[in-house]
Amino acid sequence: MDAKRLSLLVLVALTSACANVAPYQRGRLAHPTMSPDDAASLGQEHVHSVQEGATGGNVGASGGCGCN
Amino acid sequence: MRRAIALSCLSLTSLAGAEPSHLDVDTITEFSAYTDTDAVTVYTPALRGSVKDPLAGWSASGSYLVDIVSAASVDIVSAASPRWMEVRHAGTLSGSYEPRELGLSAFGAVSSEPDYLSLSGGGSASIDLFRKNLTLLGAYSYGHDVAGRSGTPFSVYSLTLNRHTVSTSAAIVLSRSTLLTLVGDAVLESGRQEKPYRWLPLFDASVAPSITPGSSVEEVNALRLPGRIAERVPDTRQRFALTGRFAHRGRASTWLAESRLYADSWGLVANTDDVRWVHDVSRRLSLWPHLRFNVQRGATFWKLAYVGNLSSGLVDAPEFRSGDRELSPLWSGTFGGGGRFDFGNPQERAFGLILQLEATYTDYLRALYISHRWAGFASLQAEVKL
Repeated sequence: MDAKRLSLLVLVALTSACANVAPYQRGRLAHPTMSPDDAASLGQEHVHSVQEGATGGNVGASGGCGCN
Repeated sequence: MRRAIALSCLSLTSLAGAEPSHLDVDTITEFSAYTDTDAVTVYTPALRGSVKDPLAGWSASGSYLVDIVSAASVDIVSAASPRWMEVRHAGTLSGSYEPRELGLSAFGAVSSEPDYLSLSGGGSASIDLFRKNLTLLGAYSYGHDVAGRSGTPFSVYSLTLNRHTVSTSAAIVLSRSTLLTLVGDAVLESGRQEKPYRWLPLFDASVAPSITPGSSVEEVNALRLPGRIAERVPDTRQRFALTGRFAHRGRASTWLAESRLYADSWGLVANTDDVRWVHDVSRRLSLWPHLRFNVQRGATFWKLAYVGNLSSGLVDAPEFRSGDRELSPLWSGTFGGGGRFDFGNPQERAFGLILQLEATYTDYLRALYISHRWAGFASLQAEVKL
């Protein structure tokens, strides 16, 4: 299966999972606790990144360190 | 005359009804502490801030932290080195603009220690589809790390590492109260990654099988070959991760669950699962338990005891060898919890205190010097919104 068809298949799968929630129905989705950043601790994130060999799952600014 | 009065009224009305500022300003100060049974202690004061205009669609944020590290880990003791202290400074800056369905952002980060410097920067683009019921995002970042020796300028001695990261994500609204986010990451690293301070013992081929996990420094010194060899790892590494994040808001609680699958070209395969249940005890107080589990298979070149051969003054050792326990087979479990108390109007969340406590047990299945480690972490944050 070429990349174009695979991309289309993934997009169809994603869109079929979507609900049709209107903006005025998003009260619970907008609750602060729904964001993983709500209780995020910079120190805690750093501890996890140093102690675990894996990486990934957080998009955005992050860098390396000589912590291990 | 009537026209003049009408124009005057219109002007006054415009002034009176001038739109108030839509800026949301949020600052969080944090102090966290970490300690473990491997004699490592870290104190981390940190500051985060963001300002955004939800109507105009732009936001800017930044953070700054200091890690004050004191370490006398078994790796330091095994090298007959005294306890050391070090301070790391790290900062991030990011900005985004999303006036309608399309959004753009840029971010940068820097981390500086006496013997390590990391610089990274990147950007992302996002698009909201189907009335924001589906949001797609693509991001790229580049990182440049330089490792050296404390007290020696990078111009004299340094190892450099370049890192390209491509990430894609899809945030899917499953219902009025449920959100699913899928994130895919590909990290391509090239350069020198070994630690200049890490020296490994070598063992004769006839002795190596008798070395057991968790062997003490004294036991290792009694059985190893003379001398030590520097750590050496492959110059390239391709890392891939797929993360699923689930969030569901009930009447008075929120479930947050995350699962990550990871694999890389060094043979390390890992799964990490994280669950948090935030319960609204009252309008001002919410509490949550937190569980996290991580299990990984070690890198293919990881050995409990590396076999060496000394002949004619030359050392014959494996091409790739490492003493970084985070490359070894291990599992870890974290349990803890936290709470948030809001002062003032709890709906506005203008001023809140957040306390988090957790303990982590790590079992190293095939490592020298230690077989397990207990760690404790605590953080206290104060959030102020204007």
